[in-house]
Amino acid sequence: MYRQGDVLIVPVAEESVPAHVADAPAESRDTRGRLVLALGEVTGHAHAVLGAGWLVREPGPFGPLVLHLPTGGKVVHEEHAAIDLPRGWYRVIRQREYLPGAVRIVAD
Amino acid sequence: MDTMGKWRAVAAATGPADRAVAEEGVRRAYRDAGLPEPERILWAGSPLEAIGIVRALGDEKGPSARDRVRTKPWADERRRVHDALGPGGWTELWNDTGARLWDTTRALADRIRAGILERLTEAAGIDEASDDAPELRLAVETETRQLLLDAVLGQHDAAWLAAFDGRSERLEPLVRIATAAGWWWPYEKAVVICERPTELHRDEAGRLDHGSGPALSFPDGFALHAWRGMPVPAGFLAELSSLTPARIREEENAELRRVMLEFYGYDRYLAESDARPVHQDESGILWRIPMNGDEDVVMVEVVNSTPEPDGTYRTYWLRVPPSTGTAKEGVAWTFGLDEKGYEPLRQT
Repeated sequence: MYRQGDVLIVPVAEESVPAHVADAPAESRDTRGRLVLALGEVTGHAHAVLGAGWLVREPGPFGPLVLHLPTGGKVVHEEHAAIDLPRGWYRVIRQREYLPGAVRIVAD
Repeated sequence: MDTMGKWRAVAAATGPADRAVAEEGVRRAYRDAGLPEPERILWAGSPLEAIGIVRALGDEKGPSARDRVRTKPWADERRRVHDALGPGGWTELWNDTGARLWDTTRALADRIRAGILERLTEAAGIDEASDDAPELRLAVETETRQLLLDAVLGQHDAAWLAAFDGRSERLEPLVRIATAAGWWWPYEKAVVICERPTELHRDEAGRLDHGSGPALSFPDGFALHAWRGMPVPAGFLAELSSLTPARIREEENAELRRVMLEFYGYDRYLAESDARPVHQDESGILWRIPMNGDEDVVMVEVVNSTPEPDGTYRTYWLRVPPSTGTAKEGVAWTFGLDEKGYEPLRQT
């Protein structure tokens, strides 16, 4: 698994990915042609993947985001070093923080 | 700038309204709706002041024109685009545009509404000791909510206007007003329109956040204070600069105490209070701070994997459930994993 700031990218075996994911509507790329895994609402800084592939929103144990990179890719961010990702399937997890009675997403 | 960048900027815009552009947009919206142009266009320093003006106008303003100038054109255009793209295409368009701005702008508008309700209830001077206090309070709230329902949100309609960007000539007047001004109240004979905020401070997650003054303020002085999204009284912020660990421990309101802790800095608090490290491993250090009458604050201290521009590595703290036993278990929890399942190969 790979971690860039508050985003964790966990490889998953292709055979365990639910069949419907391949046909699910993919998230659009941003105007720079990137797959955005997480976007900072105010700064616009993004954890984003360069390369062929697609990103699907998936509820349940494989979600919230499933990433498929048929030829590998690179995850980039304005403030973190880039990470090369081998080809394959991944689930993408945002970091969270504990609050008494609630849980909130970490603001990176 | 890309479309979403443009609308993100509209939603967060501060500074004086472009009154000429906004007023021209208002007149055109009325003409397009088949209505006579409003007899009067009145400007307000904030949505709070606008409510006051609307109330003072009484029957002079005529019935609300909101449905005709805003809701009907929007509904018609939504239907048209929906029919052209199909349900799947519409959903995709919405996910790519409006959905990205929806939560933060809606939260901001809700906070402004809540702030207005609070101020007007205070201003009504209700004697809380009297028997009819709940009834009087309800009456003020009901009237205010009704007036808030007549508002068009201008710049804070950015989310849904973004979905129609470049697709709808008919919504052009609403776009012009949104890019030039704040909230507005359309009535048949009068329009009350607001200046934009003078200041808006938010954190990376889009929540209102400012430690040394209002997080949102308008030119007439209406302001909201917040720390990482949590509403706080204005005077509370002044106290933050002179906090001590003892004062933090004494605070009885758990939410305000959390704000104090975050502002003071977990690291300073750890150093100066009786916190103790509970566990250390390759993931970081686990700390536990006992709290009187409340659950313990348990945090993992971790070191950022990417150096700062000056070459140093930033240390930061993440709060984790009180049941956490090891640093690695804590970090794994922040990603929804158990300790065994968390094995990053590379971190930046």
